[in-house]
Amino acid sequence: MTGFLGTGPADVLATWVAALVTLVVLGGLLGERRVFGWSQHLLAGLATGYLAVLAVTEVIVPRVLVPLAADGRPELLVGLALVGLAAGAPWLPRPLAVFPLSIAIGAIAAFALGGAVVGTLLPQLAGSVVGPGQSAAGTLAGALAAGVSALVVLSFLHGVPRGRVLGAAAGTGRWLLIAGMGGWLGYLLLSRLVLLVDRIGFLLGDWMGVGR
Amino acid sequence: MSDRARLVDRFAPLVLLLALAAAWALPEQGWLTLAAPDPDARARVTTALDALPAESLVVVGFDPDLGTYAEIRPTVRALIDDLLARGARLGFVSLTPEGRALALAEMDRLARGGGGAVVDLGFVPGAEAALVMLARGDRDGILEDGLATADAAVVIGGNDLGPRTWVEQVAPRVEDLPLIAVAPTILLPQLQPYLATGQLQALLGTPRDGAAYRDGLGRPAADHAGPMTLPILLGLLAALGVLGDGLAQRVMRGVQASRTRDAA
Repeated sequence: MTGFLGTGPADVLATWVAALVTLVVLGGLLGERRVFGWSQHLLAGLATGYLAVLAVTEVIVPRVLVPLAADGRPELLVGLALVGLAAGAPWLPRPLAVFPLSIAIGAIAAFALGGAVVGTLLPQLAGSVVGPGQSAAGTLAGALAAGVSALVVLSFLHGVPRGRVLGAAAGTGRWLLIAGMGGWLGYLLLSRLVLLVDRIGFLLGDWMGVGR
Repeated sequence: MSDRARLVDRFAPLVLLLALAAAWALPEQGWLTLAAPDPDARARVTTALDALPAESLVVVGFDPDLGTYAEIRPTVRALIDDLLARGARLGFVSLTPEGRALALAEMDRLARGGGGAVVDLGFVPGAEAALVMLARGDRDGILEDGLATADAAVVIGGNDLGPRTWVEQVAPRVEDLPLIAVAPTILLPQLQPYLATGQLQALLGTPRDGAAYRDGLGRPAADHAGPMTLPILLGLLAALGVLGDGLAQRVMRGVQASRTRDAA
């Protein structure tokens, strides 16, 4: 049972709509494409409507209009001017039109790249270095990880002349890579089955009322 | 392909769905469970929660993905109920529209069940920049001074802005904020290294981890019920059957090609 919906009339209606759309989507497995296409349109329409409502109620009104009316914060006016430039981009000169886009892309790249370096790259590198106080098991695990990584990297050497030893090592690396991916795909298979069984549970339990 | 094989191919998904539905409708089998034999994941979460002070403030970064949320839903609900039972105050915040929709649904469910100390911190637009602002504090209310006022952050992942983003943007700016993550299996390879380095204090990243954590709570509730195990076993057997069929066909093709070569 998903437990999202209550017992009111709106909840019952929502359950029926969700159940019918679930059946339509599952019908796509049997080759019924036309109704499946309609369900995709329904999803796109609902998502667009939801995004519009979210933008108005949680962004534009509380974070732009209300602070502007209350405090007249100048930085919000700058932001509004940038939004105006972005909206009028098709009719504006190119150097002016690319201005808001450049700021947006630059800011996103700066935050994402800075975070990746400070939050992922450096701590992960530091975590991989063998320290003086590390246990023998930790050192062994690190050495093993380095060995496996080297073999996997070797497996990507295509077209490079190599002897029997290097060829065997590259082959081992390729099989290690396949084994690792296989293990992860096994986890994913279980995960996807959980999702499918959840949908079946929704149809039987939430919609048809078959008790668990 | 013969007509019969085409018919089998067309109706095989329907037969599988009906078989899974029949397995779902059967009573739960006591001998078939999803519990993990390795209790480490559960122990890490419990240790992190035990370390929280009384009446702690826990920020719940709620950004799961609509497609994969069903996988982690029982675990998320069990964790939220566990935190509320420990007397924690929860502040729900979302950085993605999808996460916001699911957060509203979960808060609505909590309110129907009597609620608890839950505060809606809303949707914060701006992706990574929004998280930085949240960490530094630009909002009125319980996070006025930023995430440093929180005792821990529980990040429900699945979307683009999940545990990895919190590790990258929040952890360097807010020292000593324990990060606990619940994420679907697809994010496991991405998040496991953070657990190894201690950047994530705890991670429930597979259905097995979730089942082990829920079993350890000892408070079975309808909302915490995990997936039925019998249909999952049936699905796994069907997948193995398809895999075996593919392998057998490949071997047969090899044998036939070898015979043709020998005959020539």
